[in-house]
Amino acid sequence: MSDAAPSPAEVLAAAERALAAPPTGVAPTRPGGRRRTSLWRAFFRKPSTYIYLGILALMVLASFVGPAFAGDPVATAYQKLLPPSGELLLGTDHLGRDYLARVLQGGQVSLLVGVSVAVLCMTLGLVIGGLAGFFGGFADIVLVRVAEFFQVLPALVLALVSAALFGANEVVIIVILSITMWPAVARIVRAESMRIEQLGYVESARAAGFRALRILWSDVLPNAMPPVIVATTMTVGRAILVESALSYLGVGDSNRPSWGALLNSAQGYLTTGWWLALFPGLCIFVVVLAVNMLGDSLNDSLNPSIGKVK
Amino acid sequence: MRAALWHYGKLLLSSLVLFLVVLTVLFFLLQLAPGDPVDSLIGDNPVSDEFRAQVMAAYGLDRPLGEQYVIYILNVFQGNLGLSFGTSQSVSELILGRIGNTLAIALPAFVISTIGGLVIGAIAARTRSKLLDGGISGAAVALFSVPNFWLGILLIMLFSVTLHWLPTQGKAPYGQEGIYLQYLILPVITMASTELAYKARIMRSSMIEALGQDFVDTARSKGISRRDVLWRHAVPNALLPMVTVSGYSLGFALAGSVVVEKVFGWPGMGLLMIDAINRNNNQVVLGVAIVITLSVIVINILTDVVYGIVDPRLRARFSGKGRTA
Repeated sequence: MSDAAPSPAEVLAAAERALAAPPTGVAPTRPGGRRRTSLWRAFFRKPSTYIYLGILALMVLASFVGPAFAGDPVATAYQKLLPPSGELLLGTDHLGRDYLARVLQGGQVSLLVGVSVAVLCMTLGLVIGGLAGFFGGFADIVLVRVAEFFQVLPALVLALVSAALFGANEVVIIVILSITMWPAVARIVRAESMRIEQLGYVESARAAGFRALRILWSDVLPNAMPPVIVATTMTVGRAILVESALSYLGVGDSNRPSWGALLNSAQGYLTTGWWLALFPGLCIFVVVLAVNMLGDSLNDSLNPSIGKVK
Repeated sequence: MRAALWHYGKLLLSSLVLFLVVLTVLFFLLQLAPGDPVDSLIGDNPVSDEFRAQVMAAYGLDRPLGEQYVIYILNVFQGNLGLSFGTSQSVSELILGRIGNTLAIALPAFVISTIGGLVIGAIAARTRSKLLDGGISGAAVALFSVPNFWLGILLIMLFSVTLHWLPTQGKAPYGQEGIYLQYLILPVITMASTELAYKARIMRSSMIEALGQDFVDTARSKGISRRDVLWRHAVPNALLPMVTVSGYSLGFALAGSVVVEKVFGWPGMGLLMIDAINRNNNQVVLGVAIVITLSVIVINILTDVVYGIVDPRLRARFSGKGRTA
């Protein structure tokens, strides 16, 4: 639709770009250039950065190291539905299992899915988005069409269908969420590559006789990274939310219940065990919030030009 | 006028192609599913041989793959989404019976989140109070990060379990028909909240962008009052992205309704899908997925039409009087 005035899809893309705004007004940066270093420095000078990172580190530690110190998540060793107390910090569930141990274990699935999906999306996004933006042609067509496809078949629906047909486990969920979410990252890489391609230093690299792929790899992609990192960070949050929704709906991996799955069983005990529904949801919320705040703050630091105009 | 016909003709065609692609993907997912194709259609549930034969015939499962594919596509275009196992009810009828209930929560949520997002986003962009802007933006990020279903569960715990103000489940008191308002409140709020946060964020950023444009300065320098500049110049321009965002988000809201319906036991399309997944009733699962996809496509077309009406540049182009870009 290049001949039309901005199509809705383009306007939407522009609006989303404004949210994860690429550095439009920022001077071109060379790899390791002064400007970029100072942008990162600004990010790491903010105290809030350490708060978010600290929260995330704490949640990761609690989920992966914590279970070694907590009780057995599957032993029905206690009375059923004991409220939180000094001895059992999060009480027990409807079968008399230590709920703290279950919540800690639940974090493993949620965090693993979130990070794996984000890494896969970033990889796919960099490769396909970079090729699409830099060379156009086939990669560009694939990107546009696939992005369109997932605009009409939402991730959640496709995941539900696949879970129904193939059964759900962590790998299936990670693959499906990555397949549905990569276009968001790729679109940003594409826009950035197209912008950077016009810049003087790419031209001089061309004039110096470097091969196109080498220019893409060592000049274009490194300079496209800031908005990509922001988008990848946000993907972690979105993936955790969709995974938790899936396992809440009962299509997650039943062997290792994630936070969403815990909420699924908690809903039957809203009157008798409020803590069952409170804590897993709080964990999801805290992790996703920290990730999103980190992404927002990163975005602000890397795009100093996007401020409030008054 | 011809430009408009051309534009919408192309749009309809590409939407049709997109729909065909989705159907194709679903068809091949069904083929890839492990086990006997009949089993993957009817689930591993005991069914009569008669029903098995009926399914085989309806989908031509004894015929070559290409032929099966054509039959599948033609069936969908005739509104035939297959039969639900066990009851042998038509999937289309099952979905038609539920779709009204889904719309009953999706549409009010759409209206509330759009108006709310507009107003709140505009206020955040306009205000000189850092506290207010920061507060709104912070609340939006928080709302954005809450799992939708957990928010619903919290609302149930507060308003239903603790305060006893509102019912927890369903759409009407036991044994009653129709939809009761007090049953509608919590699902609509739950569904509207995330959307509202998203729309407020978009509105804020597009409003800030509009306020920074040259035409705002021009209008101001012509002596137009602050308020008129805001409402007549900045807001209309900031609204354009909102049209698109709202349209697209309505489609996604339909997918999100699956989760909300599960939280509140709301008997819509989404709950139908979840029940079908639990019973391995794949025909119903695919049917709902197809209906959601089709709704998203139709909504996207409508969004494009509305956009053409709202955007003066497109309007001018379509009437043939505009500058040719």
